[in-house]
Amino acid sequence: MAMTQKQMILAAARGERLDRLPFGARIDTWYNYNKAHDTLPEKYKGWSQTDILRDLGAGAQYRFYSVVKEEFRDMEVTETSDPPLTRTEFRTPLGSVYKAMRFNPFEGAWIGYESEKPFKSEKDYPLINYVLEHTVPVNNFEAYDKVCEEVGEDGLVMTGVRLWSAPQRVMREIMGYETFFYELMDHPTQVERLIEAAKDLERRHYEVALKSGLELFNVCANWSDDIHTPVFRKYFVPWLREVTDLLHSHGKLAMAHIDGENRRLIPLLPETNIDVWEAWTPSPMTSMTNAEIKQAIGDGGTIWGGIPATLFEPNHSDEEFEDYVINHLFREIAPGYRFIVGMGDNLPFDGKIERVRRVVELIDQFGKLPIQV
Amino acid sequence: MSALSPLQEAVVVGDWDKAAELTTQEVKSGRQPQEIIGQQLQPAMDVVGRKFSDGEYFLPDMLMAGRAMARAMEVLKPLLSDSPVSSLGKVVIGTVKGDVHDIGKNMVIMFLKGTGFEVTDLGLDIPDEKFVQAVREEKPDILGMSALLTTTMPNLSSTIKALQAAGLRQNVKVVIGGAPVTQDYADQVGADAYGHDAGQAAQICRTLLQS
Repeated sequence: MAMTQKQMILAAARGERLDRLPFGARIDTWYNYNKAHDTLPEKYKGWSQTDILRDLGAGAQYRFYSVVKEEFRDMEVTETSDPPLTRTEFRTPLGSVYKAMRFNPFEGAWIGYESEKPFKSEKDYPLINYVLEHTVPVNNFEAYDKVCEEVGEDGLVMTGVRLWSAPQRVMREIMGYETFFYELMDHPTQVERLIEAAKDLERRHYEVALKSGLELFNVCANWSDDIHTPVFRKYFVPWLREVTDLLHSHGKLAMAHIDGENRRLIPLLPETNIDVWEAWTPSPMTSMTNAEIKQAIGDGGTIWGGIPATLFEPNHSDEEFEDYVINHLFREIAPGYRFIVGMGDNLPFDGKIERVRRVVELIDQFGKLPIQV
Repeated sequence: MSALSPLQEAVVVGDWDKAAELTTQEVKSGRQPQEIIGQQLQPAMDVVGRKFSDGEYFLPDMLMAGRAMARAMEVLKPLLSDSPVSSLGKVVIGTVKGDVHDIGKNMVIMFLKGTGFEVTDLGLDIPDEKFVQAVREEKPDILGMSALLTTTMPNLSSTIKALQAAGLRQNVKVVIGGAPVTQDYADQVGADAYGHDAGQAAQICRTLLQS
């Protein structure tokens, strides 16, 4: 019996040899934007994104935030909504911190972006440590199971314990990159203490999350060389190894979302023992080609991605698109094992949805493994 | 690195204490602030920009160099009140509506300031009308806009159209950038130039004003 989309993706993630390239397509930006604007193609009005992908013949890559939710003890947490902003205030016995998130469904986003970080100045260190230490992870399995039911065997629900690993949570969510690097220059001990608090919290997340049915855990997201190689080596690699060891000991797999310019970080990726490098985004959106990433990772991990998102846009012709997929994806990744075709990282809101079907047709034509383009 | 002066080297490697100390020494030796800026600090930031464009420098390196430059300028600032440094030009810059990603924009600002431009930062999530208002009121030589997301990238185009509708397009050069933006896209939407990275963007601004 033929393997399902989900089985193919997971088999490739485990490093098993398949006879055909799997394809897990991500279209939530396109779908959310066009649904909000009522501009979905006539045929797809009223359809779910998974049903659209079923119709196109592609495996679904369905985004879900986290199998764990966070609750808070010994503090008061209030949310004030002023669309598109939501302000969350954490009132602790030591004082208050707040953050603001921006979310506008008309822009196609699936989650909010931090428009104001909780860390404002050095005085916030004890407050944010307090918030992290008094955060309680609880399971979000009911919501997760519901989306799994929707996707079924026709793709994978992509999730983990929130989006960022502990060091990146401090770097990106709590401080923001620039503040993080300035703080690391000026107050390294306090930054490191905050990272330790984030790691302790994330260990508690995994205690809960490992009881879920999730097979492939997203452990870190939105990587780029902005993370900085020495910082990655010192703070990220040891933590990611701890996480991947934990996941592997429970028969689970680890995945990172690497949709930025990563030339400097790539040599360090194998040291993390992460199994899947997802949202791989080649040139012209980054400086690296598919051949270069394949050479860099070798058989040490599975790559998921390979088609730059902008190539789906109408300013690129169908001929350009096909030429890219055949000559710059298939040819460069041949023989094609340990590769899941996908877009880096998402079908743009104005992307041509029929090109997703075209990828399926091109895989039918050229994507038998080993690839012989 | 050997061709650099000690002050330039301090800026390039991001040693901000040394940069301030050497700037103080330069002042004490009788060098004019304008001379220190034009012959020492701005060329040092050019080197930083090139290293970034070449992939040798990354965000933290740039932040350190930017801070070294800022510390040197703190030494010079009190001495400049009577004789302001001549600006290379005025730039108004912002991240387009819907986009709250500003690292790239902030790096461009650092380079522009470091290499002698006067910069007004409008911030992030800036609607078309605010860009238009800023161009009308501040009369910049260059309008810089960035977008990180494919969903916000079309707002680069809509701002350019809004400038045209307001009759201001011919008054200002428009430079755009951001991860999904390409030279092709810049040509397509009628921008004057595209900056691939922060160092290159500052270089392009200079070239645009010379042409």
